Amino acid sequence: MIHSAWLIPVLPLLSFLIVILFLRNKPKLGSLVANCFSLITFILATLVLVGRLQGDSLLREWNWLEVGSTTITLGFEINALNSLMLFIVSFVSFLVNVYSLEYMEGDDRKSIFFAYLGLFTFAMLALVISPNLLQTYIFWELVGLGSFLLIGFYFYKDSARAAAKKAFIMTRIGDVGLLIGILLLFTQVGSFEYDEIFAAVRNGELIGSVITASAILIFIGAVGKSGQFPLHTWLPDAMEGPTPVSALIHAATMVAAGVYLVAATYPLFEVSQIALTTVAVVGCFTAIFAASIGLFQKDIKRVLAYSTVSQLGFMMLALGTSGYVAGVFHLTTHAFFKALLFLAAGSVIHAVHTQDIEEMGGLNKRMKITSLVFLIGTLAISGFPLFSGFFSKEEILISAWTSGNEIMFFIALFTAFLTSLYMFRVYFLVFTGETSEASSHAKESGSAILVPMLILAVFAVFSGFINTHWFGTYLSDFLLEDAQITVKETHAPTWILYAATIVSLAGIFTSYLLFGKNKTKFGESSFSKSPVYSIVYNKYYIDEIYDAIVVKPTRLFAAGLKFIEWFCVGGIMKTISGCIQFVGWIGSRLQSGKIQTYGTIAVFIFALFILVYGVTNGGLLK
Amino acid sequence: MDLQTLLSFHWDTMMPEFIILISATVLSLIDLFIGRSFSRKFFGWASFIAVVAALVSLISLSDHGVTTILNNSYVFDSFSIVFKAILLIGTALVILMAISDKFENIEEVKSEYFYLLMTGLLGAMFMSSSGDLITLFIGLELLSISSYILVAIRKENSKSNEAAMKYIINGSIASAILLFGLSYIYGLTGSTDLAAVQQIVSTLSGTELSGLLGLSFLFIIVGFTFKIAAAPFHMWAPDVYQGASTPVAAFLSVVSKSAGFIIIIRVLLNIYAGAYSPDGQLPLLINMQNYIFTISAITIILGNAVALMQTNIKRMFAYSSVAHAGYILVPLAAVSPLLFENIWFYLLAYTVTNIGAFAVIQYVVSDENNENIEAFRGLYKRKRSMAIALLFFLISLAGIPGTVGFIAKLQIIASALANNPINITIVVIMILGTLVSYFYYFRVIAEMFFKGDRLELQPPKNEIPFNLIVVIGVCVAATIVLGLMPNLALDNFYKLFS
Repeated sequence: MIHSAWLIPVLPLLSFLIVILFLRNKPKLGSLVANCFSLITFILATLVLVGRLQGDSLLREWNWLEVGSTTITLGFEINALNSLMLFIVSFVSFLVNVYSLEYMEGDDRKSIFFAYLGLFTFAMLALVISPNLLQTYIFWELVGLGSFLLIGFYFYKDSARAAAKKAFIMTRIGDVGLLIGILLLFTQVGSFEYDEIFAAVRNGELIGSVITASAILIFIGAVGKSGQFPLHTWLPDAMEGPTPVSALIHAATMVAAGVYLVAATYPLFEVSQIALTTVAVVGCFTAIFAASIGLFQKDIKRVLAYSTVSQLGFMMLALGTSGYVAGVFHLTTHAFFKALLFLAAGSVIHAVHTQDIEEMGGLNKRMKITSLVFLIGTLAISGFPLFSGFFSKEEILISAWTSGNEIMFFIALFTAFLTSLYMFRVYFLVFTGETSEASSHAKESGSAILVPMLILAVFAVFSGFINTHWFGTYLSDFLLEDAQITVKETHAPTWILYAATIVSLAGIFTSYLLFGKNKTKFGESSFSKSPVYSIVYNKYYIDEIYDAIVVKPTRLFAAGLKFIEWFCVGGIMKTISGCIQFVGWIGSRLQSGKIQTYGTIAVFIFALFILVYGVTNGGLLK
Repeated sequence: MDLQTLLSFHWDTMMPEFIILISATVLSLIDLFIGRSFSRKFFGWASFIAVVAALVSLISLSDHGVTTILNNSYVFDSFSIVFKAILLIGTALVILMAISDKFENIEEVKSEYFYLLMTGLLGAMFMSSSGDLITLFIGLELLSISSYILVAIRKENSKSNEAAMKYIINGSIASAILLFGLSYIYGLTGSTDLAAVQQIVSTLSGTELSGLLGLSFLFIIVGFTFKIAAAPFHMWAPDVYQGASTPVAAFLSVVSKSAGFIIIIRVLLNIYAGAYSPDGQLPLLINMQNYIFTISAITIILGNAVALMQTNIKRMFAYSSVAHAGYILVPLAAVSPLLFENIWFYLLAYTVTNIGAFAVIQYVVSDENNENIEAFRGLYKRKRSMAIALLFFLISLAGIPGTVGFIAKLQIIASALANNPINITIVVIMILGTLVSYFYYFRVIAEMFFKGDRLELQPPKNEIPFNLIVVIGVCVAATIVLGLMPNLALDNFYKLFS
């Protein structure tokens, strides 16, 4: 099975082509076809993961281009990391496909939605099995395209269009960094292959500054895609897309691509302390920064979006502090519980038709299952003991502590407290207490929505057990089998486990006091008038700052260029086209339709030739 | 000449010509003797089969060595094979188009339509095989006279009659000029055999007669510009294309034009290759380069600029065809060593794209009963396959990568520049002309794809006839395949010339 792993991305591509070309106007059939393809893809990906668990890694390549002495190859690679990613991506993608059957019901463009999902899944799956940076970059951009199309799916809304554009442009800024990094490596190593680049690093063929520079440039790409500070602003806006899209792209897969990229090129980062520190600092700062914004947001999806940014920061922090396994582990568990939270939020929005959590309340009576799974997701993300997030977050804390950077450790610990605080704020405001007006007509969603959530809930609870210090570090053993990195033996102090537990419980308890018991609504409290609140609520005015220092000056510059174009370029163009039209006008004047004119002109030109010949050659006039 | 000598010639090399001649004769006899009420529908397919058979026999002859018949009056060589192939392909496609051609009031196609196309083809084939001024001129006139009648074939239509009249008068002037030039050649050399003429001409350099040689060159080249629709004899083209029925316009723009180029190459390279300029310093062809250059430049500029102003699609294509004649003259003006293959490939490319475009035009114009560019409005929404096919033809004519038109233009430009950097002037004119051509080609594309309110558009009244589907399918396939793999055609070309 593992030998035909290339089929996995091809199937969603087929699904995309079939649906967009032939089933555009048949929503029922189109969505069914997409679901079938998605199921087969998932089964294949599971088989590949199982095959990899039992067997070895695999690398297949074919020559694509030969330029001089350089050969550029195309191929696919199955190793521990990407077989795990294949599973996660195809699994979440399949569940989101099922979920969307009901969620997108009644939309005119349902088929197109499913086609786009196929396109995105294709790009994402192809991205994770790429064996070289060039191929990675190609699919990296295609993933961005899929995201762009899906965020802008409701293109008739201005805000959706703006969000799609913003997501595309902000991630492009990171992509430029990535591209420069790839080209830098290519000029130094002469190859795009991961294996050859890593071999060059191992053999000391690259000087330290090149490694550092290329690692940081690659990380800039990851910052864009994974919504890290300062390129994070697109991710909350991307919530304009349909909610299943947020679950798939902006929680489980594409935003994790940045983390995946850093993990996939980890041998580069590993040898550069500067690069590692950069990753850790950016991750750590993003984690607390986004958590603080999430605390005050009123839109349920935006809270989840900021929590995603914050959790991705956690993963980066782990990678930056040599916690390769911790980062990938949290990526895995986060994919499950965050997809779950988004789907549950979607179920709520589907029922109450608002996204403002302060308008909701008491939904646990009306939407029992949604309420239950949301609680599970919240417990998991808060790191409640024995839930999946508990184990992965603990790994990150251990990795931060053992790297010796205590400040980052305490920031991470405090962020963990904030996480359970703001996540339970959502839970308490939405599901407990009095039934609000908006919630009073809510009905539980149908089975196509509930079943995927229940499946994800099981994973959100139990996926942590794949890597614990009590039962066995299966994931860690699996990943380190063929990761070309050096493993440091670490001895984690046990108190970190207790600290993490206490912090998580403290967050939940504080949250209960503030929002469970007293139903504090920031929007209505006197706190909303304080400057601190307005700064954080307005996301530290980052968007406004970008607008003032980047967008406005660029527009001014563009206006200047437009002026130049209008007068200089336009003037020249007008002159040229005027000349051509003049020739055309003369030509069509001469074309009078009178045969005498035609003959006269022909003979006249002919006579002119003869005259010129006679004068220049002289022979006739002698 | 006794029977023995007569039988000793390799008459088998004339097989393709015999097939055309016999079928044209037989078809005209059948037409004479069968009753009026008898359907003549099969004429089209019969003549199509005849042309395809001629093509097959031509291919089977491709291993045959060089042969001459009757004192060089008929030459069978690689040159004649490759160019006859283009003529036969072009005519076969035009006949297919003509099968479904309908005129006002007359339901059925006239039978002489088909055998006149075949006699025209026969003339063109003789031109490409002629090694003697007499056969050359007879071939030329056979093609011309057939064309005159073809233009006039819609005799109820006053436009058609007017066009034929203009065509004849212009053609006669051109023929007169050409014949005058040929008479100089005969006068100077006393022979009509091209090989003998070449021998004698090369001894003339430095003598006082060599001035007349250049003069004859001017007469001949200007006379030939009529057939290829280049300046100064280009002005008939728009009126005649507009007046003639669409398949005839396609025949004139492709087969007749190709024949013109074939004869230009034959005559110029055979007669003047060994000649020198009056002062004996330069080869005559180099000395006369500037005249071809001027003709080419005027043709490109005028063709493209005036095409911009057209609103009638057939007139627009007439000017576009004028512009293309200008492009094909560039290798001659550049005296490029790759002149043969450049011109051959360009003619091949032009044949498949232009006939394809005319086939789409034929369908749309007769369906809409409107020859203006507006007839194409919203075609993409009305008849998607037609719009996409025409899109390919137009971008190939415009010379956009991925199509055969691009390769053809690229080859001309590359070899012109490689031969002598001084050719940059004509290359720049050619590129600028191409740029201007984007405007009128893309205007049609914009009309098809971006204009027209979905609600107001009417679906086409008629289905696409089977024969047009074949023509358009073949042309689209050739446009794309040869655009991606030009070596499919060029390899065969080189094989014959190696």
